[in-house]
Amino acid sequence: MGSLFRSEEVCLAQLFLQSASAYSCVSELGERGLLEFRDLNPKVSAFQRRFVGEVRRCEEMEKTFTFLQQELRGAGRVLEPCPENPRAPLAREALRVQEQSEQLAQELREVSRNRASLRGRLRELRQYLHVLREGQRFTSLPAPLGSPPRPRALSEREPVLDPSLHQHLDRKINFVAGVIHPWRVNAFERLLWRACRGYLVASFVEMPEPMEDPATGESITWVIFLISYWGEQIGQKIRKISDCFHCHMYPYPESEASRADTMSGLHNQIQDLSVVLEETEQYLAQVLDKVVLALPTWRVQVQKMKAIYLILNQCSFDVTEKCLIAEVWCPVRDLTQVQDALRQGSYKSGSSVECFVQRIPTSESPPTLIRTNKFTAGFQSIVDAYGVASYQEVNPAPYAIITFPFIFAIMFGDVGHGLLMFLFALWMVLYENSPSLQQASNEIWLTFFEGRYLILLMGAFSIYTGFIYNECFSKATVIFPSAWSVATMANHSSWSSAYLATHPSLTLDPNVTGVFQGPYPFGIDPIWSLATNHLNFLNSFKMKMSVVLGIVHMGFGVLLGVFNHVHFQQRHRLVLELLPEMVFLLALFGYLVFLIFYKWVKFSAADSLVAPSILIHFIDMFLFTSNAGNLPLYRGQVPVQTVLVVLALASVPVLLLGTPLYLCCRQRAPRTGRPAPVTAEEQEPLLEGQEAGSSVNATKEDVESGGHGPDAKHSDFAEIFMHQAIHTIEYCLGCVSNTASYLRLWALSLAHAQLSEVLWTMVMRNGFVRLNYVGGVVLVPVFAAFAVLTVAILLVMEGLSAFLHALRLHWVEFQNKFYVGAGYKLCPFAFAPNAWE
Amino acid sequence: MPGYSEFYFNVDHGYLEGLVRGFKAGILTSADYVNLAQCETLEDLKLHLQTTDYGNFLANETGPLTISTIDDKLKAKLLTEFHYFRNHAFEPLATFLNFITYSYMIDNVILLITGTLRQRPIAELVPKCHPLGSFEQMEAVSIASNPTELFNAILVDTPLAAFFQDCLSENDLDEMNIEIMRNKLYKSYLEAFYKFCEKQGGTTAEIMRPILEFEADRRAFIITINSFGTELSKDDREKLYPTCGKLYPEGLHLLANADDYEQVKCVADYYAEYKAVFEGVGSGTGEKTLEDAFFEHEVKLNVLAFNNQFHFGVFYAYVKLKEQECRNIVWIAECISQRHRTKINNYIPIF
Repeated sequence: MGSLFRSEEVCLAQLFLQSASAYSCVSELGERGLLEFRDLNPKVSAFQRRFVGEVRRCEEMEKTFTFLQQELRGAGRVLEPCPENPRAPLAREALRVQEQSEQLAQELREVSRNRASLRGRLRELRQYLHVLREGQRFTSLPAPLGSPPRPRALSEREPVLDPSLHQHLDRKINFVAGVIHPWRVNAFERLLWRACRGYLVASFVEMPEPMEDPATGESITWVIFLISYWGEQIGQKIRKISDCFHCHMYPYPESEASRADTMSGLHNQIQDLSVVLEETEQYLAQVLDKVVLALPTWRVQVQKMKAIYLILNQCSFDVTEKCLIAEVWCPVRDLTQVQDALRQGSYKSGSSVECFVQRIPTSESPPTLIRTNKFTAGFQSIVDAYGVASYQEVNPAPYAIITFPFIFAIMFGDVGHGLLMFLFALWMVLYENSPSLQQASNEIWLTFFEGRYLILLMGAFSIYTGFIYNECFSKATVIFPSAWSVATMANHSSWSSAYLATHPSLTLDPNVTGVFQGPYPFGIDPIWSLATNHLNFLNSFKMKMSVVLGIVHMGFGVLLGVFNHVHFQQRHRLVLELLPEMVFLLALFGYLVFLIFYKWVKFSAADSLVAPSILIHFIDMFLFTSNAGNLPLYRGQVPVQTVLVVLALASVPVLLLGTPLYLCCRQRAPRTGRPAPVTAEEQEPLLEGQEAGSSVNATKEDVESGGHGPDAKHSDFAEIFMHQAIHTIEYCLGCVSNTASYLRLWALSLAHAQLSEVLWTMVMRNGFVRLNYVGGVVLVPVFAAFAVLTVAILLVMEGLSAFLHALRLHWVEFQNKFYVGAGYKLCPFAFAPNAWE
Repeated sequence: MPGYSEFYFNVDHGYLEGLVRGFKAGILTSADYVNLAQCETLEDLKLHLQTTDYGNFLANETGPLTISTIDDKLKAKLLTEFHYFRNHAFEPLATFLNFITYSYMIDNVILLITGTLRQRPIAELVPKCHPLGSFEQMEAVSIASNPTELFNAILVDTPLAAFFQDCLSENDLDEMNIEIMRNKLYKSYLEAFYKFCEKQGGTTAEIMRPILEFEADRRAFIITINSFGTELSKDDREKLYPTCGKLYPEGLHLLANADDYEQVKCVADYYAEYKAVFEGVGSGTGEKTLEDAFFEHEVKLNVLAFNNQFHFGVFYAYVKLKEQECRNIVWIAECISQRHRTKINNYIPIF
């Protein structure tokens, strides 16, 4: 929890890895996921790096794995995720994996090639058989009676085909027979007709059973064709065309008898082949079994290995080429663990010389590391979505844990809705370990699931604010007896039954003794839900509440700046920025809050008619006037207000000029006093480090530009001033506009209350029209509609809108008071994706 | 309706235009080329291409890497992308995309006929055809013996039939006639494409006009230069020039009367942009050839197409640029594998 308030201390360190043990050390570090490696050879392209050969070998293996996986998928096997977490393989082991996988792939390739050729052969035989069988129908002697209806033929010239006729003509009719892809039939037919000018007769018929297409592997219904023609030249042309259309052609024996012979021969061949094919399939299944067993582990291993070599590619070699130097960002807390990992790594590789880690100074801003747990992760991600905290800046996330659900709940205050939300989140929290929830792939669902603790708190807070507003599905609940007594009022003004019947609305006067017996113990009195001026009362209350909460929230934001200034050793900003900011905010808007509370305390129902308007007073305060019609709130109000306004206005120039002038003075002072030493001192460690062990990455230019720092700072004094001017304007205008912005709390809570009331009166009330059995039946669909609309509109839609506004209030109104958010995250090199959680 | 097309362009073609612009961002930049040119082996080249949008398009190649596999894979990738466009296109974009493929179809037909004339087996020729221009009846081209038969039997069903009107003749197919046929086909094709783009109007016409004009003029120049020393008469030559270019009609007439390279250059001098192209050409080893100069100009025109929105020109430009990129990569790969490093920088950078 300690690091949740600000990001952890992270240092730049160098790892000296003995080349013999570098691999196992990085592997060890990857398992623990502690460090972020920096690329020391950014200018070297991918194929010129040192371990490119090893990376290529890994890719080679991955290629083999992909092949194996494709084969598995082709065979309908499912690959299971790797059960345990295998470590990155050592060189010898990797070699073994490579050998075995290649051997398996080779075997698989051979077997599947065998199978494919067997299948192809079988397919061809079958096609041939079909061609002969179907061809029979065209060429055999027509049965004298009940000849089968002729399938699709080209034209009515078909009788020419009749063999009896051809015997009569005594001219030789030749045949070309084969199968063709169904899509190509039309074009083929047309081309044949055009090219051969009709000196042929072509018949097409669909094959009775679908067969596999060798090109795509899909199962299609091939079309058998039988072309009869006269003359050898045309025959050649037909063959050529058939070739072009990728037809499979089969010899078509002339005589009936030889056809029958061929067919029976084919039958035998098909049977033999089927037996062989079955055996091949069995063998293939055995090989695939082996693959299924070994592949998941191999894949994880090789992935790790590749990752390690990619990291090693980012390291640079020292002069003697005996050790690799890596630069890492390392959380200071984990330095010992890193050392431990290195020791283990060297021990495992059997190296006698130890690898070690050494901190080096740097002028660069380190990455931000904020460790989270499952509870805080959701809140941290809300903050990170705005901007990752600058290094060691105050992290708004821990405060958001309370303020975010609370501000949400102000806009979503309803006991019933809050309870539903709370129960939904509670269900997610209780079953968070169940795999079906965790591994859902629906992105929208995952968003909700990851924010489950956030939703839980939002629900809980909504229940609380719901009690304050005294609303449960828009209805008020009477927990305590109402503090207003109608009976007393009726007795006092002696309302008769007839009077009551004619007047639908009557006034309860709190000034009559006994009518108002003091404030309701908790929240809003339920009697207000019956009153016609219910809205007026609530609006006044909610508006003031919004302003009060908003100013407290912003004031808290400004105060958080204290921790930043103190931590970054910028104490001048405490006086020159924080103080005027605070004075400005409190003198104007803090005073407004005071006025609100003062009026609540000072004026009661008795003197409500003479109560002054705060709004008019507040406007008069800026105009330095007073209004005779508006009584003063307290004595000496005008001078106090004048002083406050002057104080606020006086703080503006301080805010505008304070910091720039201070920085300017501070720079000039040492320059005149002792010009050289400061820069020399600053530069010295850097230059020294260059020899001993500073960042290899920092080239000479970097060091030089670092040295130029103070000079550069002086020249951009104008920039500092501009920056401060912008900040000042933004802050002063922001105080006004942000206060107004908090009024969205009022607007949204009003909208929510009104919407739920509309839903109740327009939908649910219709179910209560008849209080008999029929009404009970009607109530069922009415309640269904009410429930669906409640969830869809009030919970989901309104909830999202309230969430959005709460988000905005945090990002804009709260965080811009202190949060820079210009950092970048530490992404450690880790094999497990979520090593920090 | 033309002139207001930008208002409803996105309804039908917005998705594809967005897509093509996204693909365009994946075209290799000059920094990529610099890196590619530093490669020592084809494996290095592959490794570097992996870091670009090509990703692991070569990852599943078993066996040693050859230039032809690289070329095939590059083309296959372009083909996949193009088919995606074509399958999702509405009219008139669909017709526009079809027009793009016609030029490749013409090339394929000519390639196959020439191949058959030289007694090459068809199976050897088919892989050499550009996949963008393949069509069903393509392989049957080899059975034709003269242009009329070619037309009547085979091409009449293809979209190329419309361009064939001018080439119908009973002449036997010999090298010369094939070349004439190719140029006539191209001429009809370019003119039809030009007319189609003009009909679209709006930005499409505006963008495609200079590109197609340049294409027409380039063909005219090349026909002229290639015809020197052949038996092609000047009148016949003039009939081959596409008439939709900037050179039409005076320039073409001058070209028809040109007798040598110098005179062609003189014709080009009348036109500012072509003058610049011809001036960039040199005969030395490090200098550009005329072909390269033309390619460079084409690339420049195609890149300009991306500056406007709501038109079809981007699709044409993308295909052409991608084709140029394939040529560049193959050139670099050739130089690497033949250890011919001095010429490795003769590629034409696109961005």
